[in-house]
Amino acid sequence: MQRNQRARRLLSSAAAFGIASIVLAGCSSSSGTGSAQDATPVSGGTLVYASGDAEPSCLDPHVGGNYPQALVASQYLESLFTKDSEGKIIPWLAESTEVSEDGLTRTITLREGITFTDGSELTAQAIKANIEHLQDPNTASSTGYLAVGKVDQVKVLDERTAELKLSAPDNALLESLSMPWTAIQSPAALERDQATNCAAPVGTGPFKVQSWEHQQAVNLVRNENYVPPVADPSRTQPTAYLDGITWRFIPEAATRYAALASGEVDVIDNAQPDTIASAAQGGTLGHLDAPRPGASNRLELNSSKAPFNDAKVREAFIRSVDVNAGITSLFFDTAKRSYSLLSSVEPLGISDEALFTADPAKANSLLDQAGWTERDADGYRAKDGKRLSVTFPVSTNQSVPAEQSLFEQFQASAKAVGFEVKIELLDLSSWYGALAEHDYDLVSAPYTKVGPSVLRILYHSDSTVPAPSGYFANNAQVKNPALDKLLTEAEQTDDEAQRAQLYAQAQKIVLEGYYVLPLYDQQNHFLYGAQVKGMGATTSVSSPIYTDVFLAK
Amino acid sequence: MSRLSKILAWLFIAFWALTALAPALITPGDPLAINPAQAFQAPGAGHVFGTDESGRDIYTRVIHGAGDSLFIGLAATAVGMGLAIVLGTLAAMAPRWLDGIILRVLEALYSIPSLLLALLIIAFTGPGVGPAIIAVGLSTAPGYARLVRSQIRTLKNSEMLEAATVLGRGTWLKVRNHLVPNALKPLLALVTLGVGQAVIWAAALSFLGLGTPPPAPEWGAMLSAGRTYLHLAWWMSLFPGLAIVVVAAGATLIGRALGGKARTI
Amino acid sequence: MGTLGWAARKLGGALVVLWLVATAIFIGIRLIPGDPAEAIMGGPGSQASAQALAAARAEFGLDQPAAVQYLMFLGKLARLDFGTSYALKRPVTDVMAEVLPKTIILALLALAAAWALALLFAALAMRANRFGAWLGGMVEIVAAAVPHFWLGAVLIMVFSSALGWLPAVDNGTAAGLVLPVLTLALPLAGFLTQLMRDSLATAMSSQFALAARARGESRLAVFWRHGLRHASLPALNLTGWAFSSLLSGAVVVEVIFARPGLGRSLLSAVLARDIPMVTGLALFSALVYILVMALTDAVQRAIDPAGAAS
Repeated sequence: MQRNQRARRLLSSAAAFGIASIVLAGCSSSSGTGSAQDATPVSGGTLVYASGDAEPSCLDPHVGGNYPQALVASQYLESLFTKDSEGKIIPWLAESTEVSEDGLTRTITLREGITFTDGSELTAQAIKANIEHLQDPNTASSTGYLAVGKVDQVKVLDERTAELKLSAPDNALLESLSMPWTAIQSPAALERDQATNCAAPVGTGPFKVQSWEHQQAVNLVRNENYVPPVADPSRTQPTAYLDGITWRFIPEAATRYAALASGEVDVIDNAQPDTIASAAQGGTLGHLDAPRPGASNRLELNSSKAPFNDAKVREAFIRSVDVNAGITSLFFDTAKRSYSLLSSVEPLGISDEALFTADPAKANSLLDQAGWTERDADGYRAKDGKRLSVTFPVSTNQSVPAEQSLFEQFQASAKAVGFEVKIELLDLSSWYGALAEHDYDLVSAPYTKVGPSVLRILYHSDSTVPAPSGYFANNAQVKNPALDKLLTEAEQTDDEAQRAQLYAQAQKIVLEGYYVLPLYDQQNHFLYGAQVKGMGATTSVSSPIYTDVFLAK
Repeated sequence: MSRLSKILAWLFIAFWALTALAPALITPGDPLAINPAQAFQAPGAGHVFGTDESGRDIYTRVIHGAGDSLFIGLAATAVGMGLAIVLGTLAAMAPRWLDGIILRVLEALYSIPSLLLALLIIAFTGPGVGPAIIAVGLSTAPGYARLVRSQIRTLKNSEMLEAATVLGRGTWLKVRNHLVPNALKPLLALVTLGVGQAVIWAAALSFLGLGTPPPAPEWGAMLSAGRTYLHLAWWMSLFPGLAIVVVAAGATLIGRALGGKARTI
Repeated sequence: MGTLGWAARKLGGALVVLWLVATAIFIGIRLIPGDPAEAIMGGPGSQASAQALAAARAEFGLDQPAAVQYLMFLGKLARLDFGTSYALKRPVTDVMAEVLPKTIILALLALAAAWALALLFAALAMRANRFGAWLGGMVEIVAAAVPHFWLGAVLIMVFSSALGWLPAVDNGTAAGLVLPVLTLALPLAGFLTQLMRDSLATAMSSQFALAARARGESRLAVFWRHGLRHASLPALNLTGWAFSSLLSGAVVVEVIFARPGLGRSLLSAVLARDIPMVTGLALFSALVYILVMALTDAVQRAIDPAGAAS
């Protein structure tokens, strides 16, 4: 559902219909639906964007690699590939690609006539330089580093062609190369020291970084020489309509919304559910709902230690909490309940609602069966004198207030069947610390990645082995050889149908093992003023791009 | 202090003491009981102060929150005062060089604004109720300590002490029986003022997410949760905010009535 | 005592205070359980790379004996080298050069506004009847008891969201400063008015004031010419304290109004356990306080040399 404003025209007119329904599905008001068609585009003006995320410490998304970086970098960097409205990977900066019979050699040919904003031309050398930059330990890349993990070596064949040698077949490679965390930057710019590159990365995108006033704003200006890799015949000018974007950071949700409502800013992200709902009633603000790809937002149950090493206890917990009531009251139905491991934008995700319906009676009988039959003075269940208690560290950086409230409701409803849930609100570093120490029974850890290969990262037993920093992605601690085999095979097959089938089997194992409680997609809501038109196009990770956006006079 | 204001002041203290110690006597509800179907109810017949995002009754939570909020305020003041009495007395009684050192330490503590000092301490300890108490207590200590010191220094040279010396009492006895109690009297007013301010600073830390964690009904934490819904449910912010204002203003009134000046905590 | 001696004493005192603050921070770092390199680079469970940790060990001399580490630490601070913020990946001094002026301007404006409000209140109180005086007294006390974080939110809701008169966030214009300054100034004005009214009452009933009244000067004229001057002195003495409390309030105000500044930087540094940043900001806020105190002292010396010397 991205780049689709332009990319769809390459496909078919039938596809265009599908795009409109996906991109605009979340748009809730009539005046602000914001498709470019409802007004004549005008050039000029600076859009003020207010982000609720913490200000990135580096504007180069290769370094680290988190979502706030993707949001801003999508304006000035572009990727080799992108995703069309139906979730299909299509070339973007790349023109074409092919893979060898054994799946170990991937050839990528670039488009002609694309230049970086430092004036240098996009050549195959850039592919080599960028992948090496991601793999350089000094870059300290985490997201992009994992994404290109199977690339052993990059060979430049000619000006426009590069050859990637892989250590194993990787049918997720193109998905990985569609993400902003692997976006292509000018090789000359990457040569600069990290602090300089962090302050103003150089890409091929519709905007470029002009200046960065720390704590205040990143100032982006239009790239006057922008050449869209895929031309949009309906556009009168290839470059962006906006003169620039002032990218501000306003962490206070109420202040951010007040600034939008009073017209001080044009677009806000991380919109709170209640403000989305009231914007829908008020009717002047537009709403873009762009759920992130990869994993759904879900609770993971740590199966490596008591009490969740018993599948009955895991199911009992899942049956004891009423997710839907909380979503209705806290999210005002702006979030749709998920019963899947994967985001609703992932075509290969499977759902199984029956596994996750709230059923306190069943929860009670499961706990009785599992031997948690005693009750202590506070009304909690116990076994051999030990209380049925679970620890739940919550990151205040990653869980929005509505989600924290939802977890408080879980705490209250799990108590009714005899669970003690100890919620610990932690800053990000303490939260990582608690996970690294295995000091958790429940955790909600969002993970964004394009494509179903995120399942390997999250549920393969290899991911229970901590990295040197102590980080591991398999928080549910699923260790199942049959599952490992499925996930490895699914990533290597060159048959689409077989890939889907293998991933379906893998998901079934995790879902039916009650390792996770799916909640909803990773929420990604934007509100914008009525003057903002043309919102909708996003990258493959659902970060909006503003090439088509204009400010109505 | 007029008779009426004295009675009112005692009633005020009695009310909050009762609220903090036995909230169930005032409101029978459970401050943690959720009811999602009743979320965001405006103040009205069923819920006089309205309900919050999980359908919890704000009135019940404000009443039950008095214990947490006042405890932090009182405990922080106790920490600050305890430290102040030790340091202030020591400085006043000590030889000049030690007095000088203690004064510098106090000045160093004083030179970092209260909330900044609290943040500095939390940078090392991590957030939580305990660190919040210590942080607020430490940041108020130097103000009290200077007063204790100057009180004791004045009294040290006073007639009362001379009389005690004539009677042949030991130095420690002098300190215990005369200096400390006499120095403490004017401090009582100041402490009353200080409790109000400590409640505000502790709430500020909770507001910044560094104090009492939810779902505990501490007022600062309630405000912190309420600010997200300011546009939808103003009552979530109004009532815990009012509770803080009432306690802090009440403490000021009582402190002034006891002879305290609106000065510097 | 000569001016030179006075200045030397002040400077010496300031250095001792800064040394004590630095020492406390050094001890604090040692008290964090676990690897001190990790503590410096983001606290327990830090995501710092092995290289970053090695760099921190070398930079802070963590493989040396504690005494050497301490001297290295002080030596760096003495050269105004606060190191690099690991969270922002920028030199701490650069960050401080950006944020300090913003916070100081905010605090100075709030101080001025609080004074203006306090004077206005005191003048109004002069003309009030008994009920008015009582009401004024209550307003002051309530104003002084209002938490910044609550006041700021209410002001945004009323003046920005509901009425649309003033911007909610800093936009570089003077209008953007109104709400943050008011949020800081109102509680302080409450304190100052309380102080001034106490001394005003004494001043206005003094022999001096009564004599002026007897000469036929109006009550208001006496208020302006005599009463206010006497009433302001005790409040003026508190300027250092007032400024310090404004810096505290600035943390909350900068967060609510999305203003860059010392407070917001310190809060994010604390959340990220960014020790180099925390150290730099703490020392600089101490320095600012010491400067303000010295300035107040100097002004008092200039006005009333005898009084200041005592």
